[in-house]
Amino acid sequence: MVFIERNGKEKRSLTHKNEKCVGCGICTDICPTDSIKLGPILPIARGLIETDFININKDMCCLCGLCAFSCPFGALELNINDVDAKKLDNYPRWMHDALIDEDACIYCGRCEKVCPRDAIYVNAIMPSRADLVIGEAEIDRDKCIYCGMCEEMCPANAISINTKEVSSNSPEIADGISIDKSKCMYCGICKRICPEDAIKIICTTCMLRDEIKEPEIEGSIVLDNEKCINCGWCQEICPKDAAIITKPFDGEIFVKEDITCKGESCHACADVCPCNAISIVENKSYINPKLCTLCGACTKACPQSGIVIKRKKMNLKNVRSKAWKTKLANLME
Amino acid sequence: MVVIIVPVIIDMEKCGQIKDCPLEGICIKICEQGALENKDGELVLIPENCDDCDLCIQNCPNQAITKDE
Repeated sequence: MVFIERNGKEKRSLTHKNEKCVGCGICTDICPTDSIKLGPILPIARGLIETDFININKDMCCLCGLCAFSCPFGALELNINDVDAKKLDNYPRWMHDALIDEDACIYCGRCEKVCPRDAIYVNAIMPSRADLVIGEAEIDRDKCIYCGMCEEMCPANAISINTKEVSSNSPEIADGISIDKSKCMYCGICKRICPEDAIKIICTTCMLRDEIKEPEIEGSIVLDNEKCINCGWCQEICPKDAAIITKPFDGEIFVKEDITCKGESCHACADVCPCNAISIVENKSYINPKLCTLCGACTKACPQSGIVIKRKKMNLKNVRSKAWKTKLANLME
Repeated sequence: MVVIIVPVIIDMEKCGQIKDCPLEGICIKICEQGALENKDGELVLIPENCDDCDLCIQNCPNQAITKDE
């Protein structure tokens, strides 16, 4: 963590939160005093070295805060008189966002599985299986010989036989059998396999289907905005269009055609990408633009300088300073 | 005629070997092809393993690795 503080007419401080930093280098590109140096992002991403993604020269930094306002990941914070300047009226504000419509969400959990930042938590509460089927199941204990065939065949693992230690003074193999009604689907396999005709199964699920209530799946979904980087994975994977992502930049990204991508032997781009938007397909870098934030980490990690980003729009509002506007325009195409 | 291809050139003066490398021989760790090895503290290039990916060139903190273009 880098922390720079100075007192003048105002008390200003700049904090770099490495845990939120992805090593994209936007701050190094934008810094007007060239005070920020990008660290070895690939070795860091591969876990070969443990160090912060960036380093800021405290003597050169003028605490203007442009880096903090242009960082799409909230990894840099400028405080003016102990207030986060992002909350001040006359400073720029990012419009990127991630929203999950709980009414549309069915708690399937796909987004939780694919989120590259582990920012989504889904908890689905399923109805009980027993409420969705109707039937009768009984075992005639006088007829049962504890052969165990029903237990082995039951697809729902609903049958259990209480097996015993066999000894010379108690030569019994088992002393009980039961059907767990919360698991039984009344399929009748046990009845059919039973060599002693000891099992009675009657399934009335179809006949009495009107009596079965429409199952309700309850649950909750939490999106941690501190971890989310608005990559768009949840939006892409959601079958119900419940996730709505506004990205920090609009634009395009592509791999140059005239370079020799070393694919599997390099994979630097895929390793540094904070969005898991890059994979190596047929020994070449494949970038899915729908999952990309256009942060540019891959362009800096590629030893062939083979990845091109063309940012067309920056979703940063309320940039009042003309000088900042000019500087920020450099991040565009 | 035997053609020996030297994929990358290591400037040993700039390199300063593993003990003096600020990133403790990152080129060896970053190379997944086994073209750079630590032989008793000395950096050794195994040209036949090199896949020409340039990762060592890009990640060397001393800018000691180059390529003859």
